[in-house]
Amino acid sequence: MKMRSKTRDLKVNRGGTLPSCMPLFALLLVTGFGLHRSLGVASTGPDQSSEGGSPRYLSPVALKLSPHGKRLYVVCEDSDLVLAVDTYTHRVIGRVKVGHKPEGIVVSPDGRTLYVSNEWSGTVSEIDTDSFQVRRTLQAGWGPVGITTGRTGKMLYVVNTLGNNVSLIDLSTGQEVKRLDAGHFPEYVALSRDGKRVYVSNLLARVERYDQPPVSQLTVIDTRRQVVTQRIAVPGVIQLRHITEVPARAGGYLLIPFLRPKNLNPLIQLQQGWYLTHGMAVIRPSGSSREGQQKFQVMEVLLDDIDHYYADGFGAASTPDGRWALVTASGANIVSIIDTAKLNRLLRRVPPEEPEALADRLDSARQFVVRRLRTGRNPTGVVVSPDGRSAYIANRMDDTVSVVDMNQLKIASTIDLGGPKGISAARFGAQLFFDASYCYEGQLACATCHPHGGFEDGLVWSLETPQLGRDVVENRTLLGIAGTSPFKWNGMNPNLATQDGPRAARYIFRSEGFNSMEVKDLETFIRSLRLPPNPHVTPNGHLTGGQARGRAIFFRTTTNAGSLIPPQERCYYCHAPLTHYTSRVQMNVGTAAQYDNIKKFDVPQLEGVYMRAPYLHNGKALTLEEIWTKFNPKDQHGITSDMNKVQLNDLIEFLKTL
Amino acid sequence: MLVSPSQPSLQGTMRTPLRLCILWSAGLLILATTRVAAQNPPLYTKWINYTKASGFPAGEVFCVTVDGNRVWAGTEHGLVLLENGRVKKVLTPADGIAGRAVMSVAVDKRTGDVWVGTFGGLSRYSAGQFKNYTNLSSGLANDLVYGVAVQGKYVWVATAAGVSRLNTDTGDWSIFNEQNAPFNEPWSYAFAVSQKKVYVGLWGGGVLVYDIAHHYWRPYTDPDGSMEIVLYRNQGLIHDIVSGIAYNPETKMFWASTYFGLSGYDGRNWHNYLTKDSGLASNFINAVKSRGNDVWACTDKGLSYLDYKTNIWVTYRPDNWRDLDSARLEKNGRGEIVITKPDGKKSKVETPTSLAHNYILNMDFQGKDIWVATAQGLSHGISQPQKEEQLYESARNRR
Repeated sequence: MKMRSKTRDLKVNRGGTLPSCMPLFALLLVTGFGLHRSLGVASTGPDQSSEGGSPRYLSPVALKLSPHGKRLYVVCEDSDLVLAVDTYTHRVIGRVKVGHKPEGIVVSPDGRTLYVSNEWSGTVSEIDTDSFQVRRTLQAGWGPVGITTGRTGKMLYVVNTLGNNVSLIDLSTGQEVKRLDAGHFPEYVALSRDGKRVYVSNLLARVERYDQPPVSQLTVIDTRRQVVTQRIAVPGVIQLRHITEVPARAGGYLLIPFLRPKNLNPLIQLQQGWYLTHGMAVIRPSGSSREGQQKFQVMEVLLDDIDHYYADGFGAASTPDGRWALVTASGANIVSIIDTAKLNRLLRRVPPEEPEALADRLDSARQFVVRRLRTGRNPTGVVVSPDGRSAYIANRMDDTVSVVDMNQLKIASTIDLGGPKGISAARFGAQLFFDASYCYEGQLACATCHPHGGFEDGLVWSLETPQLGRDVVENRTLLGIAGTSPFKWNGMNPNLATQDGPRAARYIFRSEGFNSMEVKDLETFIRSLRLPPNPHVTPNGHLTGGQARGRAIFFRTTTNAGSLIPPQERCYYCHAPLTHYTSRVQMNVGTAAQYDNIKKFDVPQLEGVYMRAPYLHNGKALTLEEIWTKFNPKDQHGITSDMNKVQLNDLIEFLKTL
Repeated sequence: MLVSPSQPSLQGTMRTPLRLCILWSAGLLILATTRVAAQNPPLYTKWINYTKASGFPAGEVFCVTVDGNRVWAGTEHGLVLLENGRVKKVLTPADGIAGRAVMSVAVDKRTGDVWVGTFGGLSRYSAGQFKNYTNLSSGLANDLVYGVAVQGKYVWVATAAGVSRLNTDTGDWSIFNEQNAPFNEPWSYAFAVSQKKVYVGLWGGGVLVYDIAHHYWRPYTDPDGSMEIVLYRNQGLIHDIVSGIAYNPETKMFWASTYFGLSGYDGRNWHNYLTKDSGLASNFINAVKSRGNDVWACTDKGLSYLDYKTNIWVTYRPDNWRDLDSARLEKNGRGEIVITKPDGKKSKVETPTSLAHNYILNMDFQGKDIWVATAQGLSHGISQPQKEEQLYESARNRR
């Protein structure tokens, strides 16, 4: 296995040392008199276990503090671990194995229990904070990520990313009592400070008309009635991430990092800047409706500067007094510290009738961002200690936690979580993948358009063509693409090296891009990306009745009337099962639009197609059904006009299993 | 009289100071003296009607569904929401609903979502926003949606091309029609749901009952085939043209309304009713509801009530119901209650207010009150136990 040393400018304290301000006698007290104890049962040593010969990196993504702030709990998505860190000694004092790909965490109100969402297991691990062992495993929905309890700790809210809903789990029984629809690809969640509401933010925009700017959603759940009371539209943005509610005395609004793309403009405009901007939604109560329902005003402000961008906002937190808010830029390795009083002053100048007045202003951030602190690689989750003196930031790509001194507004130290010390090619490729510094003015990283570990952003983009509205194509996933070359909708890129090397440099990043070594490692990483377990597949792997009938339709050779279907018009001809359900060629299936320069498009692989709405090369089919009910009038995209509705439903049920 | 849009019209009461003309026949007298008050059939003498003057869109009210203090009414021109007796919203395709004509409404008590069957597809109304499911964009069998019901995580949809079922957890659709279930006719109209079964009323196909645990269908059809006569009174479902269906968890009976009479099935025996041998106002029935011992039949000639235990019938309708001139109906506003004893004897009560129209399409319960969808507006029947007791007491005193 190839390993690299860390040669890049990673200037962090990796020793896991105590804070520099800590006197020696305090250390003696802590260690000698047993005030600090390791969590007895769990292992505390570094985990150097490997998977398939590759080192098992930790990749911390989510953090929570115990109620008194003495322990920091760290969720590590690549190692299926939750770590406990003593916030005084900065040492890892416990680790516990949870389900596959843990992503979210919440501490029960009494501090005795942790709940950790396991995205790829579809479960929640309930962990006893004393023994630091898993007490029970609860069933959630599809792809659970965000997680919170209600104020009383009796109900658990789990955001199911792939299910597009929220599971409400009664913690007295451990059973799910209901699921509430939460829009398209919801990921993160927060309980309001008064405990009356749960907010859910969506990574991807609503699946709507492809030629319109995206609209994202914040779902509001009434915790008393346990129903969705509002679906707040956040216009023009995608990738709403973590939610923080600034205390009432400091404004009482929600801050949610977002990406604001100009995807309908030609990508060539990236070289003028202002193409992909990064900021935060400011959603604040604005009185009540006549029915007594809380109303919200949505404003948007950018965190970028005019000549430099802070890509991929991710974590958000605010201090208990509400003076400061912190937003991590995961692609820029920066945490922005916001003076909420200054932000308030700016927001007060926004006319009520123009809530989007600041949405495109690159001169706003300098008015309220007071510090840009460099973190470790790929900062994700952030939390603030209960006393407001410290903030902790999970650095996913170097297995560390940055500690921010909130009095001095500087990075005080870095906690080494004990991941593998060498850098594999795939890991280095992953670091590149999340790094926006390769792009002109830092506007985007690979992960910007391929969020959620290489997935897609659900948008259509006007890529190389300089004319507005020409050759608009839908973004494609990177998950499970090994063996599906060529790439791009026009099939012009024969391999990933071309895609990630000169093409990325010239057409996307507008910079010198990655060097050949970096391209190789990036390619290694992309090839390692896997699709999540398919929830449409039954646990025993057998097809249901409808899925089996759909499979027969997929492989049929005759129409319902018994006529022979020409081989090239059969489903499996283009979507060949042995090569990931793509023949890896370009085909004309009658889907070209008026302003497309080509008629033939790359046959997309079908694996994971259930999660990839919208469909077709320009995203005009909003559902799988529409591919055939609306956009196959001449049977060019397979012979389907003879099929009845039951057969079409069956076919789609089968496709969802791929 | 002009009424402001937000003010429902209390027909009759403003003009008539609670004038109640009661024509007691011997039948009612006997009824009143032989039954204790608690067992008396309800007598709704106070009606509030919601029409165009109250803010309703013009046209028929096809359905009504009560959800606490909220009342949903499906009309020919959109979905109407009433809260605390006032029209709060009128939702049309401009607001995002799938179709103009709203045929059915079901409320998911778990999620609070409202599912709406329209002639343009299925809509989910959640947190003030619609999400639509159509034949082209989803697995819905057909866009002509007549009925909708919620059973756990499933939404059942009655369409002109069979029954569709949406799993709200997975987004998967199932279609049940003549290809995979004993459908004589795929044109489905209405649902009733119990804990273990889903009952489907089919236009021309009788009743189909789906066993949820075992995933099989059981058909109930008219033994006489499609004949419009009944050879033996209680031999089976009274007719295959089923317009509505109800399940009563207390009696464990299901009731089917047909265009040729009313049928009830208790799991062993059928109980059929025609106008010729009961107090049913008409054999042409658009919908049926049941709770306790009560069975309500929505007919083209009024709203009929059956006390299943005593076989006493009560029918409500405007007193000039034979005159379909809406202008005259509005001017009058009075109604009549016809009570039919088990022996067939009838008595009549005149009421100062009445239903908006005699053509009844649907009804629902709100506590002791009832809401009735008619061809010319929505009617709210207000329970007045003291008034009813006075009527019965008066009858006993007259004796």
